[in-house]
Amino acid sequence: MIRLIAALVGTAAAVGAAGVVLYAGWYDISATEPHLAPTYWALDTGMRRSVQRRAAAIVAPPLEDGRLVARGLVYFQQHCVQCHGAPGVAPEPFALGLMPAPASLAHTAREWQPAELFWVIKYGIKMTGMPAWGFRLSDDDSWAVVAFLRILPTLSPRDYRALQVPALEREEESVLEKPDPRRGETAIHQYACATCHRIPGVVGANAPVGPPLDGFATRTMLAGRLPNDRDTLVRWLRDPQALKPGSAMPDLGVTERDARDIAAYLLRP
Amino acid sequence: MRRALAVVCCALAGCGVETPPPPGGDPERGRLLLRQFGCGTCHRIPGVAAARGVVGPPLDGVARRVYLAGTLPNTPDNMARWIRDPQGVDPRTAMPDMQVGEAHARDMVAYLVTLR
Repeated sequence: MIRLIAALVGTAAAVGAAGVVLYAGWYDISATEPHLAPTYWALDTGMRRSVQRRAAAIVAPPLEDGRLVARGLVYFQQHCVQCHGAPGVAPEPFALGLMPAPASLAHTAREWQPAELFWVIKYGIKMTGMPAWGFRLSDDDSWAVVAFLRILPTLSPRDYRALQVPALEREEESVLEKPDPRRGETAIHQYACATCHRIPGVVGANAPVGPPLDGFATRTMLAGRLPNDRDTLVRWLRDPQALKPGSAMPDLGVTERDARDIAAYLLRP
Repeated sequence: MRRALAVVCCALAGCGVETPPPPGGDPERGRLLLRQFGCGTCHRIPGVAAARGVVGPPLDGVARRVYLAGTLPNTPDNMARWIRDPQGVDPRTAMPDMQVGEAHARDMVAYLVTLR
């Protein structure tokens, strides 16, 4: 009993001390100061275990098809090589300053299961700089990247340079799904809406760049000049510059489906 | 005097950038003017009686807002200009020209910049 009390008191003291260190500003948040070894171990292990657990139920499709690998190469060169580099190719300067540094994928692809790679591509990893691609790439496209990653460790720098990058035709998206407000809430994070708007119910959304969106469902005007109905809101989210040239609201490349889901979230009663 | 003290205390405490009200503006008169000009018909404005409109954006925290009307950098001068001549800023805006005079606009701005 005394041991239990001692353990509880010890834990509370540790949590309190951590809180004091954070609140006083003593923790060095800079990207030039590496993690302490125990911190790194805890974060790295926690990250790997989390990915393993969440990817356990994912079944990889056949990944040997040459066309799938070729498509994966296109996305790899568009979206991955800038931070991760490639055989004989350095990451871009901005990526070299990241902490943690983005992994060399030739190594990662040898160590991680295809389902785990797929999961990381689709959902990203908090606090590492690895973004979620689930709102940018379809599941098929993410599997194509995995298919390419699987052959990456077998390529010499010369092999990699010699690869022919095929031209891809973009498939038209079809909008058949019913608007889903919960997916819309995720999309609000994924399109970084929170960096400019205060949005009740969305954690971290308190920036005052644009107007706050609380009570948005009852707001009658949009962008100061448009009726705030579902279809107009979807058009506004997809192409603000067309509806209000010169607006500070940028075109974020929101897809029709994502815009409908975001509208469903913002206009929910 | 009290404001001067507040500014000094603020500076000593190191509490960041304060947007000073433009010279001549009276925040208390501005608060009453916002009611007189019916701003609350379209906007929710803390401290202004019956200002619960839902046509335009709410004005709580408007002092910290980065842009006005989606296009103008939020400075006291730009805020006064937007209040006085909305169509001059955005010809298609739903915000009406309420014929607010220069001095009245300055008073309104003096109040709005306190909404942090």
